[in-house]
Amino acid sequence: MDILRFITAGSIDDGKSTLIGRLLYDIGQIKSDVIQSVSKSNKAVNTINLAHITDGLRSEREQGITIDIAYKYFTTPNRKYIITDAPGHFQYTKNLVTGASEVDAMIILIDANNGITEQTRRHSLVASFLNIPNVLVAINKMDDVAYSEEQFTSIKNQYLVIAEKLKLQNISFFPISALLGDNVNLASSNMIWYKDNTLMQCLETINAKITNNHITRFSVQCVIETKNFEKGFAGKLISGNLKIGDSIEINPERKSAIIKNIIIGKSYKNEAMAGDDICLYFENSIEAKRGDLISKSANDSPLLFSNKLETTLCWLNEEKQLQSGEEYLLRINSFETKCSITSILHKIDIQSFEKNTEKNLSGINDFLGVIIETAEEISYDPFSILPETGCGILIDLKTNYTSAAFIIEK
Amino acid sequence: MKLVSNYLDTLESESIYIFREIYGQFKKPVLLFSGGKDSTLLIHLARKALFPANSPFPLLHIDTGHNFKEALDFRDELVSKFGFKLIVRKVEDTIKEKNLVDSTGKFPSRNILQSITLLDAINEFGFDACIGGGRRDEEKARAKERIFSIRDKNGAWQPYNQRPELWKLFNGKINKGENVRVFPISNWSELDVWNYILREKIELPSLYFAHDRECINFNGKLIAVSDFINLDENDIIEKKKVRYRTVGDMTCTAAIESEAANIEQVIDEIASSNISERGETRIDDQFSDAAMEDRKLQGYF
Repeated sequence: MDILRFITAGSIDDGKSTLIGRLLYDIGQIKSDVIQSVSKSNKAVNTINLAHITDGLRSEREQGITIDIAYKYFTTPNRKYIITDAPGHFQYTKNLVTGASEVDAMIILIDANNGITEQTRRHSLVASFLNIPNVLVAINKMDDVAYSEEQFTSIKNQYLVIAEKLKLQNISFFPISALLGDNVNLASSNMIWYKDNTLMQCLETINAKITNNHITRFSVQCVIETKNFEKGFAGKLISGNLKIGDSIEINPERKSAIIKNIIIGKSYKNEAMAGDDICLYFENSIEAKRGDLISKSANDSPLLFSNKLETTLCWLNEEKQLQSGEEYLLRINSFETKCSITSILHKIDIQSFEKNTEKNLSGINDFLGVIIETAEEISYDPFSILPETGCGILIDLKTNYTSAAFIIEK
Repeated sequence: MKLVSNYLDTLESESIYIFREIYGQFKKPVLLFSGGKDSTLLIHLARKALFPANSPFPLLHIDTGHNFKEALDFRDELVSKFGFKLIVRKVEDTIKEKNLVDSTGKFPSRNILQSITLLDAINEFGFDACIGGGRRDEEKARAKERIFSIRDKNGAWQPYNQRPELWKLFNGKINKGENVRVFPISNWSELDVWNYILREKIELPSLYFAHDRECINFNGKLIAVSDFINLDENDIIEKKKVRYRTVGDMTCTAAIESEAANIEQVIDEIASSNISERGETRIDDQFSDAAMEDRKLQGYF
């Protein structure tokens, strides 16, 4: 049994929360007391408000909208699922980005009555920005359009144009009714023209994200000291493998060291693989520190070093505009340094997905091409080579708010 | 190359990563310990994350005075076994010092008062991070909280202005007076916790397994007879075979009838249960639709 993380995205009232409620309900994983509580907070008697299962805050229930992401869990014999229910409103896109950053799949809901909206485009852009490996397009409320195959195909074809522009991967389409359950868990008898998997069948079979390739990268999170004063360097082996005796390089300092010991969990091991949480010891008391990025000295794809990064950035701070020249704290893995945005290159136009080079480009939820200059030289990989070492955040120096997320283009 | 991972390994790895971030980012973190299964699991994960060093996090117990004796005994055994530093701050003392009104009624709950004791302890020691065993599947307000949850100068959660939390980049930067509540087992379900306890052979208080206990039946919930609740002439005391699915205060935690005497039997029981963990055992959540959200606004973890 593995874990699959997915997020639901869509415009307001496209039925995201209802879909999650439906999935949980059909799989039988909503407990009786929870069903009772969502029936109670709904004014209409004798109907279960599926959306209230995930709308956990008072204002959300009162306003009938999702403001911030909620996490829900269910299991099948095959998988544990971690669902992120994300808000649909434009102003809460920053919460969508938060919820989508670690998922294996995004379900994009489109209301069959309305077709593709600006929010559909925006959510697809988020999927593209974060390089989400699977996109499931659920065309919802098919019951409102008489289960029309023509309507489904028309929306599907329009969406394929967007998907191609944004280079989205592994796209599949589902005609559903979240409210009534058609093609969510069980195949619909109302749409016999649709022969493919139901949404749930698809979720059961798609691959979870695996980070692993020939590149070896290890990020030091903390230094573990014990009574005998030997220092261990703890963190996650992000990619590749390491074994005792390997010559490694500690970056961005470019210091060399040889691995003396590897601890995984509570045991000494000869080697570690991608994903392992390890503690490394080096020969000759060579030291590393939090924030260091370790690569192999030989047969490894070289890290890039620079204090000038070309990035695509999503602005997340509602209270402040992005200011060219203002200082921020940059963070990539556990590495931190001060930085500033020295140049805004373009804004991505939400209609055409083209790079718009007009100025005044700094609003909340905008996607921008920017140059970031850092106080210290940093070591990294482009996001397209290895996402984990090619993405970061900008932190406001005064409020400490996470104000932007960026991926490194080069 | 690991192609298919076990879900418990994935959850453990996520928690270990968070513990290492806590250790790397904060100067004065503390682990909130209640004696329950979730905070006991936190200790196990903290020790794994920072092995071969001993877990560097002191334990903070906010003692409401309404504890199960078994939970206190378990706490003291665990502390002496692993040599942890234990800090206990009592709600009783807060009530005296601040001249507060203690709760009354049939089941006097110190749930709101304990947030004051917690915030006082955070100020007293200058803790910058409090590690808690809250899980998102427990309750609908918890389902919305970040793993690094920033609390303002009054200890309050700001549910409508949470920081974006992307990838594994947990931002624990705070200004003086603020603190961070960190929830390393956010993504674990009740069954995940038990399956992991089984796999790792983690010891728990005896309360979690079937035993005989004198209880009263209050609106279908079995409440243990203790000095902390006020019986009246309508109460019928019955001896029942019970276990606890959650361990909170004796005044607000209900027992469930059970024959489950070991971890495997507990797992079977939960897997076939048609009622949620808190729904079955907490009488304090059921006062209103937003009871947990309201407590969190007042500094509760």
